[in-house]
Amino acid sequence: MSEKSVVYLKDRQSGQLVEATLYDGMGRTEVEAAEAVWMPFLQEQLKLMKDRGVPKEQWPQHRHWDWRKKFNEIEGLLAYRMFGVECVSQMQGLMLVTTAGKACRIPSQKGMPLVYVHFLAAAPWNLPSIVKEPRFSHVGSVLIHTAIDLSMAEEVGGRIGLHSLPQADSWYASGCGMTDLGCDPAVQNLRYFEMTREQAAEFLR
Amino acid sequence: MKTNITKEWLKKRAAVDEMAEVSCGYLNLDMLGAEPGHDQAAASRGSFEQDSSRVAFGKLINLWRRKKGLRMEELAIKARIDLAELIEIEKTIDFIPEPRTVYQLAQVLGLPNQRLLQLSGNTVARDPSLGQEAVRFAARSDSVQKLNKSEQQALEEFVKFLSDK
Repeated sequence: MSEKSVVYLKDRQSGQLVEATLYDGMGRTEVEAAEAVWMPFLQEQLKLMKDRGVPKEQWPQHRHWDWRKKFNEIEGLLAYRMFGVECVSQMQGLMLVTTAGKACRIPSQKGMPLVYVHFLAAAPWNLPSIVKEPRFSHVGSVLIHTAIDLSMAEEVGGRIGLHSLPQADSWYASGCGMTDLGCDPAVQNLRYFEMTREQAAEFLR
Repeated sequence: MKTNITKEWLKKRAAVDEMAEVSCGYLNLDMLGAEPGHDQAAASRGSFEQDSSRVAFGKLINLWRRKKGLRMEELAIKARIDLAELIEIEKTIDFIPEPRTVYQLAQVLGLPNQRLLQLSGNTVARDPSLGQEAVRFAARSDSVQKLNKSEQQALEEFVKFLSDK
């Protein structure tokens, strides 16, 4: 069963922070409902991009993701947790993390456990790579804050790690203050970012 | 786990979050299979039925197109998909089409998108009968130009099965 918390997102149309719900522990129904709305919207936008001649390199890099498939893979596995942020009765962001089997790479904390963010995505209508005017902002910040909270709750000091999609590299580096450990050949040459205990505390401040 | 994300904290993040791209994760869907603790045996189970499902998907598109008397180019235009991808779908056994292509074909064929996504290998089917029906359907079709009676019947039965669930 999901645990819920009140969070906020910025409605970019009004400029106001509006109340949203953070779900800790997404169920199959919520994941399928999210993808049932996300996927057709994304497909329509991709069609428009194609018609406009937008080069494929500029298309959203996670366009093949299907969160239902991700859910099927991890259902029942205790080391994985899926979070969602809902606002105006629609899922605005999803995140899948693991709390086991990953260790820090930054030399000062090498080998220590961390919470690893496997996948994180905002709803397609919230992304500037997909729409001219994204609907809500702060989805990423809310989810990264949540990953750090989980890391604290798991007593691993707020340390988190993730492999960024190239379009988001600068946000994790500058926006979140994470350490860039460079491209990881073991993970499709995606950049690996990690947060120390101190960086996590700074992010939460 | 409860969290305490305040309005004041979010207001401080207004500038960095404005127009931010935030996605992280593997480019491919299947990388979770390489993670520790993941059940490799479970991942390989059902791979035969997954292959047969993709064969069935290609044959479904092929037979439906031929039943309608459409050339490949005509179906590609009607469904607003790449002709090259349509050729791959009909002719390449282990080809997995893009989800958008499957969605477009589902609209044209009038079949549930979810079922076709499962059949095409884009998502995992929870219903074991889909794989079994796909194997039976794939085995019953031939490659002559016009549908013979047996192909016609196989197509009608498989379409009915996909539409019923």
